[in-house]
Amino acid sequence: MKAITANRLLDGEVVFWREGRWVERFGEAQLFADDAAAEEAVAVGKGQPTVVVEPYAIDVTEAGAGVAPVSYRERLRALGPTNEPTHGKQAEGGAAIEALLAATGAARSTGRVDLIRRK
Amino acid sequence: MYRYDAIDREIVADRAAEFRGQVERRLGGDLTEDQFKPLRLMNGLYLQLHAYMLRIAIPYGSVNAAQMRRFADIARQYDKGYGHFTTRQNLQFHWIKLADTPDILDRLAEVDLHAIQTSGNCIRNVTSDPFAGATAEEVDDPRVWSEVIRQWSTLHPEFSYLPRKFKFAVTASAKDRTAAKVHDIGLALRRSRDGTLGFEVMVGGGQGRTPYLASTIREHLPVGHLLSYIQAILRVYNRHGRRDNIYKARIKILVASLGAEEFARQVEEEWAKIDAPTNDLPDTELARIRAAFTPLAFETLAPHAGAYELAKASDPALARFARNNVKAHKVAGYGIVEVSLKTIGATPGDITAEQMDVVADLAERYGLDDIRVTHEQNLVLPHVKLDDIPAVHAQLAATGLASANINLASDIIACPGLDYCALANARAIPIAQHIAERFSDADHAEKVGELKIKISGCINACGHHHVGHIGILGVDKKGEEFYQLSLGGSGAEDASLAQILGPALPANRVAEAVDQLVEAYLRERQGEERFLDTFRRLGMAPFKEAVYAPAL
Ligand code: SF4
Repeated sequence: MKAITANRLLDGEVVFWREGRWVERFGEAQLFADDAAAEEAVAVGKGQPTVVVEPYAIDVTEAGAGVAPVSYRERLRALGPTNEPTHGKQAEGGAAIEALLAATGAARSTGRVDLIRRK
Repeated sequence: MYRYDAIDREIVADRAAEFRGQVERRLGGDLTEDQFKPLRLMNGLYLQLHAYMLRIAIPYGSVNAAQMRRFADIARQYDKGYGHFTTRQNLQFHWIKLADTPDILDRLAEVDLHAIQTSGNCIRNVTSDPFAGATAEEVDDPRVWSEVIRQWSTLHPEFSYLPRKFKFAVTASAKDRTAAKVHDIGLALRRSRDGTLGFEVMVGGGQGRTPYLASTIREHLPVGHLLSYIQAILRVYNRHGRRDNIYKARIKILVASLGAEEFARQVEEEWAKIDAPTNDLPDTELARIRAAFTPLAFETLAPHAGAYELAKASDPALARFARNNVKAHKVAGYGIVEVSLKTIGATPGDITAEQMDVVADLAERYGLDDIRVTHEQNLVLPHVKLDDIPAVHAQLAATGLASANINLASDIIACPGLDYCALANARAIPIAQHIAERFSDADHAEKVGELKIKISGCINACGHHHVGHIGILGVDKKGEEFYQLSLGGSGAEDASLAQILGPALPANRVAEAVDQLVEAYLRERQGEERFLDTFRRLGMAPFKEAVYAPAL
């Protein structure tokens, strides 16, 4: 299963694709069973360069308490930093956040790595 | 401190205005992200995991109260009320919006600050001694020379597109508080026997994927030739640095592949071609810059500070603070006060807007308007009268900044790691917090003594793990956060690179392993030995056994 994510151009906020819009909550992200459909959505997102930066597909999976990204890094993006539990999306709480917090495994993701290559 | 002149101000204001235009064009769709990214990076703006991050240059780690207050204002208005000091003596804001950045740069420019050359393959902010101008150890004020390099390297057309980023450190004391030997160029000011001032020029140090200690290519470069000589070094690097391979593009790789001797020979050859008189700094310019650092208006005080001694005798917390955080000042009756940003449970290097305001007030009221940032992610009030230290300590304590743990095991360097950084493999901050908690008993921490623990969330080594007495590197092992420990590094005058202890450990084993290492050290140490000394005497074996044997 896939979801599509990006950072919003204007403020850098982590956003997810949902039926032609970008939403802030992972819990509202559209899930794609079909990889080809996901790639199509990524292509549409790439056509919105003044809205988002570098949209890409991520792997998500049923993780006991609910759906969560497979990669730990993507879960962190969907939650916020672990050292400041009141910062980022996690502050809102709720079942979808709990599901993300409960998921385990997989620190790295593909995608993103070249984002700040000039560091 | 150095005050901007009209030219400096114009450069910074122009640059902020230019970036405003670039942001408008990006938001309006006239620039693609590929076109815009290098432009925003040139202005210190990164896109990280949760938001944009703005890195602000703090020239050689020196700020005044007005500038610190401006950081506090920006933290409140545009971030989540805090900032993060880095191992490059810079300040990062982690929750910045692109749309706000032009306004932030304008507000920084009003107090002579900017984010120029905090990213990209150019000459970055110069590292210097946070005790400059306050310690009796120094042979000259390293800020003067840091400022010379800052002015020379700002928007330098020839060196704006180097093979890779380039970092200078300037120190003037026997004790090195800059990690000079892991910089691209480390400059150590020394006075020769005949009294002339010169630089020991060390080149090709660095951390990251392939760590190296810098090699000395000149024992004593007369200070007057600094600019022509570093120009020669940069030219050799610019020409022969490996632009084809990002992992081999730093000068350390060039120096290592040529050998320091051959590299030095090429530099000398290049230097001979440069017309020194037109490239070196004119004496009048040096005098102008030096005047900005003329000794401050210190009072003539008795070396014995009665009120201070009395207060220490009756307040154990103050006495502990004095033991660990107060260092000798060159002027009688004054002290150098280190402000720890490593309160147990806090994020290393983080400081809230309210704390910034308190530090600014203290600097203004008690510290001759001077604040320094250390590469160990702490702050320094370099000039405080000893008799004022009880008041300073009390006000720091009231805002949660009085941890008396400088150079102790809980004074841990940690990079932002996977909690913020898009390049990370693993988190660094929670590991630091877990370790620090084990040293929350201040008596125990003092008994263990100097112990420098440094943590990076990936091989880029922003957390200086290669030069930690205990270095910790976050790695990704089949999708889980693991941590590779190494021992015996030092970024100080006795610089050395740490050696790997053994197989990487899972996150929940790291703090325990540090405990085991410390226990082994306490068992084995002789006399006044630091952890590092015991390791150097005994080698890896007893430490390896302490961590890995229990599992067998
Ligand atoms: S060491 Fe790696 S994880 Fe840490 S700040 Fe540097 S690039 Fe990011």
